Amino acid sequence: MAEDVSNTEDMISPIVTAYPREKRYILAMMQDVQKKYNYLPKEALKMIATHAEVPFSQIYSMATFYKAFSLIPKGRYNIRVCDGTACHIKGSAVLIDQIYNNLGIKPGETTEDKAFSLETVNCLGACAIAPVVMVNDAVHAKVTSSGILKIIEKYRGDAGDEDE
Amino acid sequence: MKIMIDGRDVDVEYGETILTAAKRAGIKIPTLCHNEAFEGQGRCRLCMVEVEKGSMKNTVASCTYPITGEIKVTTSTPLIEKTRKNIIMLLYKQAPGSQLIQDMYKEYGCVDNSLEENNADERCILCNLCVLACQEMGSSAISLIMRGTDKQVATPYNEAAEVCLGCGACAEICPTNAIKVIEKDGQRIIWNKVFNLVNCQRCGKPFATREQLEYIAAQGKDISTQNLCESCRRKSAAEKIQGFM
Repeated sequence: MAEDVSNTEDMISPIVTAYPREKRYILAMMQDVQKKYNYLPKEALKMIATHAEVPFSQIYSMATFYKAFSLIPKGRYNIRVCDGTACHIKGSAVLIDQIYNNLGIKPGETTEDKAFSLETVNCLGACAIAPVVMVNDAVHAKVTSSGILKIIEKYRGDAGDEDE
Repeated sequence: MKIMIDGRDVDVEYGETILTAAKRAGIKIPTLCHNEAFEGQGRCRLCMVEVEKGSMKNTVASCTYPITGEIKVTTSTPLIEKTRKNIIMLLYKQAPGSQLIQDMYKEYGCVDNSLEENNADERCILCNLCVLACQEMGSSAISLIMRGTDKQVATPYNEAAEVCLGCGACAEICPTNAIKVIEKDGQRIIWNKVFNLVNCQRCGKPFATREQLEYIAAQGKDISTQNLCESCRRKSAAEKIQGFM
């Protein structure tokens, strides 16, 4: 679950300094930060640059190279639509369209209220129950175009509760 | 040791690249991503040549291929010309705005195809020379970011980089003139950062950024002529020599 990114510096510092000051640990640092925040905050990249004694521009280059890293905050609910071969044939593109129509986000984007973000993955390894959608850790099988709307509604309700 | 390039015997040193050896022998091999200041990158692949080693024949990038034994190099064969033509065609699709690439496109007799073209004013061929130059200057303000078709040279977050000195080494080395530098009213704008230019104490011409001069001073190098522009510095040095005569 994404944590609040207030007072980031104090929060990120221990993650980064847990590793020796060496270039080869940069990816590991990034993975740990991403795991905690679901994205790589700018402060974290700067901190990694200082810690590993590597120019900030090179850290940024690495962070933008790997698809596993996100530079923009993810929503509380990260929707991952499988777009592997089986899911693609079973209509994952329709699901992505439905999500866009309903939430107004494309893959890689986050809704303005930070409730949802969308990404596509190449295969979730569950082709038998295609098309598959994961919301955070929950797997939704054989999702239909109306089914995806129900899923969004369910989480939207939860998201609302959290705010209250 | 000796190797054969285009039927000529060429003296070479063990481990040097084919490109270096060929250049010294006055044999021209086309390049785009190569600059003598840096080691070969093998990025643009324009310097591909044919290498014959015993009974083996191979096409290699001459800028990164180290000579370690008896080889026979041919810098132009129908296959290599075809490869280069292909590369130029693809570079043209990437950077249709570059005059250099446009000229090469004509020179190599490329023909248009249905591949999608980049923005008409795009000039960058992603050769990475600017990144190397910036690194060499000690700033590393820019780098290649993203990947695949989104790849580009930029500062982190496209913001004005703290470490950028505004020296313009990146624009200087760029083979396709892709880096925008605006100079007017005593200011230089590069990579979204605005610099105040310092005037030459002798001729009054703006010649460097304040950051540049501060950087040089901080390096502890000789700064006795640092407030002079390049041509005035030369003049001052010449005068000094005259004084001795």
